[in-house]
Amino acid sequence: MPTPRTRLSDRRIATLALAALAWLTACERPVGCTGDYCGTLVIATAGEPDILLPVVSEFSVTRDVADRLFLKLADVGPSGNTSGDEDFQPQLAERWEWDAPTTLVFHLDPRARWQDGQPVTAADVAFTYDAYTDTLVNSPFRPSLRQIAAVTTRDSLTVVFRFRQRYPEMFYDAVYHLRILPAHLLRELPRTQWHSAPFGRAPVGDGPYRFVAWKAGESIEIAADSTFFRGRPHIRRVIWRFTPDQTVAVTQLIAGDADAVEVLVSPDNVQRACAEPQLACYPYKGAAYGYVAFNLAAQGDTSKPHPLFGDRDLRRALVMATDRERLLHNVFGDLAKVPPGPMPQLWWIWDPEIRGLPDDSGQAARLLTRSGWIDSDGDGIRDKDGHPLSFRLLVPTTSAVRRTYARLLQEQFRTAGVDVQIDEVDFSVFTERARTGRFDALIAVWNSDPTPSSGFTQTWTRGGFGRSNYGRYDNPDVDRLVDQAVVSAGSRDQARRAWRAAIETLNRDAPGIMLFATSNVAAFHKRFADVTIRPDSWLAQLATWRVPADRLTDRDRVEH
Amino acid sequence: MATWLVRRLAASIAIVFAVVTITFFVIHAAPGSPFLPAESQHLTPETLRRLSTEFGLDRSLPEQYLLFLRNVVRGNLGQSFALRRPVADALADAIPNTFTLALAALIIDFALGLALGIYQAVRAGRVGDVVSGNGALLVNSMPVFWLGLVLLLVFGQWLRWAPVGGLSNPVLCPRLDSPACGLDFLWHLTLPALTLGLVGAASTARYQRAAMLEVIRQDFVRTARAKGLRERRVLLVHALRNALLPVITLFGLAFPFLFTGAVLVETVFAWPGMGRLAVNAIFQRDYPVVTGAALLTSAMVVLGNLIADVLYAVADPRIRVRSETA
Repeated sequence: MPTPRTRLSDRRIATLALAALAWLTACERPVGCTGDYCGTLVIATAGEPDILLPVVSEFSVTRDVADRLFLKLADVGPSGNTSGDEDFQPQLAERWEWDAPTTLVFHLDPRARWQDGQPVTAADVAFTYDAYTDTLVNSPFRPSLRQIAAVTTRDSLTVVFRFRQRYPEMFYDAVYHLRILPAHLLRELPRTQWHSAPFGRAPVGDGPYRFVAWKAGESIEIAADSTFFRGRPHIRRVIWRFTPDQTVAVTQLIAGDADAVEVLVSPDNVQRACAEPQLACYPYKGAAYGYVAFNLAAQGDTSKPHPLFGDRDLRRALVMATDRERLLHNVFGDLAKVPPGPMPQLWWIWDPEIRGLPDDSGQAARLLTRSGWIDSDGDGIRDKDGHPLSFRLLVPTTSAVRRTYARLLQEQFRTAGVDVQIDEVDFSVFTERARTGRFDALIAVWNSDPTPSSGFTQTWTRGGFGRSNYGRYDNPDVDRLVDQAVVSAGSRDQARRAWRAAIETLNRDAPGIMLFATSNVAAFHKRFADVTIRPDSWLAQLATWRVPADRLTDRDRVEH
Repeated sequence: MATWLVRRLAASIAIVFAVVTITFFVIHAAPGSPFLPAESQHLTPETLRRLSTEFGLDRSLPEQYLLFLRNVVRGNLGQSFALRRPVADALADAIPNTFTLALAALIIDFALGLALGIYQAVRAGRVGDVVSGNGALLVNSMPVFWLGLVLLLVFGQWLRWAPVGGLSNPVLCPRLDSPACGLDFLWHLTLPALTLGLVGAASTARYQRAAMLEVIRQDFVRTARAKGLRERRVLLVHALRNALLPVITLFGLAFPFLFTGAVLVETVFAWPGMGRLAVNAIFQRDYPVVTGAALLTSAMVVLGNLIADVLYAVADPRIRVRSETA
């Protein structure tokens, strides 16, 4: 039997609990916003920007945020075509023309304003180009601007780009990487300090969204600029929630704590998210491809060939001994394709008709035997001159996909009489060993721009030595054909033929095993309408997305 | 007491110094470079040299160490390579989150652990003792990250009673500047704190049960009962104080567990604390953040132990007398 005092305590507790509940629910009370401009988009993402200054960061999440805050002169259109200028859409520039074959003139939109009220001028564009090409700033995009000789101003709203030569992607080079920066806010800042500039944690831009807040390790919020000169975005607030990994991001999406995830990555995540009735899935082409890179040079002395992979026939045999379709099915299910060469699905040169070596274990075995690699001692591993056919495969511990591929490859090669030892190292060590050539073979993943021009050059030509051509693949024919495709081709068809010839030559040389080219699936809450995704930049069309008035939730209506 | 405290403080400083020194040399000796963060990032050898010079990595290791110590003494923990901001700022953002999580877990740990331990001791050998004892053993046997994942799955994803991660609702509470959003913060704290606290409580309960069992069989407890005191007073006043000593030791030991456990729990629950910061920094070879985190974590652990020692002296007058006469 409870005493009166106990009953009073119980009542007190109940009152406190009710008060707490009222407090909590008050936080979620729908107020304010109604109509077509109320959407709130919460994106769960496994990564956080390092700094919101696009010139010094190339993290994809930095680009996602910064591209909402800072305008380019123009941007790639929905077609994704990067040749010529006809498919590009104006952003900061209202129009442009060619004064000469290598002189491009942009006319800025006079309505453009920095969010502190200052007008955006041609001087800002020239200043931005100067910063992007300054060695002190060391922008990751500097190599992409090497064909631009100068950027000058003609008047306050006219800016002139002069190129070193004429080539199909001149316009793309001029506009794709440059996010125009406010000269009046950055001019006084020493260039050596840009990598940690306070501006990068509270940026002032000229785009459709304004920076609101960055809570380190937790979230970034931006809000639509209702005065934006190209029209007010429908989605009023965009919030990125940072998660430790993709699985947590998908869990937040399913639990309703987030509205969107850029890439579901694994078949398991796709199954989990797409089965949820409140979510819609959007497949789009992936920008990444993965491959085994053979080290063609001896470790420690790049002037000498690698004792195994210096042999072209051996490399060809290993490529043919790999059942890539089976590997792909095991790891990705339907979420990737076997690439016809070193390319992501995103590239316009993707063509399943490009010739490569067949996946043919019988032919591989015959080639190995003909090259003298036979199992002379009956231990299941081929050998030659007393040396077993054995190598080490380097993978980063942080990539579940690559670790799984490594184990499956190890098993496939074992049945071909090839011994593979797997070296799993953390990512920092992986990158260091890749760059210094301290490996036999490694599994790399390349995330690319929408065009092969820079990515292919950095990875598979002599120009990529010391950069991403980890295996030091070097064929002058390939270099010449790539140069022809990038610089000399007069038309897109000519460029396509040159690219195809380059890739078929590379495939015959077998500098690596092209394992997978990803297909992406994004997931959104179904209240979002008019969602279209441009594969190279999934939020590029954000300005057209919306939440119809009859689908608004408390999350969309809440005011601050 | 004062002499003892000064001696303990000096020893604490020496321990922190040793931890930081070891961390500094070990992280610098680890293979990998802080300036190779992504496969597709292109840094020329000249740029790498310039960055090394800028961050002082071109100097010899002893020189870097002395420079680091000099800066620490001046309160400067350096600049993070990966976060592109001062280490002190990054730590200042993360510490309150980890500290709050650890404190909440500690409260759950000891409140639940003590209560359960006392209950088990009083009911020793009966059904309640056996069931709760085995339940505690089960929880204690679970890896903390696994328990976290289970709680996340059940209460976050399936039942949707609790948020599945983060510090607060970013839509409703972008800044914790209202009482309602304070409650939202506590709501987000629930699962991570429960995860850490439950594992600790299971362990605390086992210690407390053993200590209580030993005490309640002693003469002074029998005497208290013989004097006609109520059972609750006998247990909570006479027995408990004497049974607290081993648990106070456990309190000191709980700090390292809470901070190492926080690393995993912060990852599972996307809790932006020191653990996540330090783990990311280790993978990125962000030397200043790693050494800064080691400095602070070791300081907090040492401080926790110091508090435990003081509490020990408060709870046990014999210790106080010994230290005063020493």
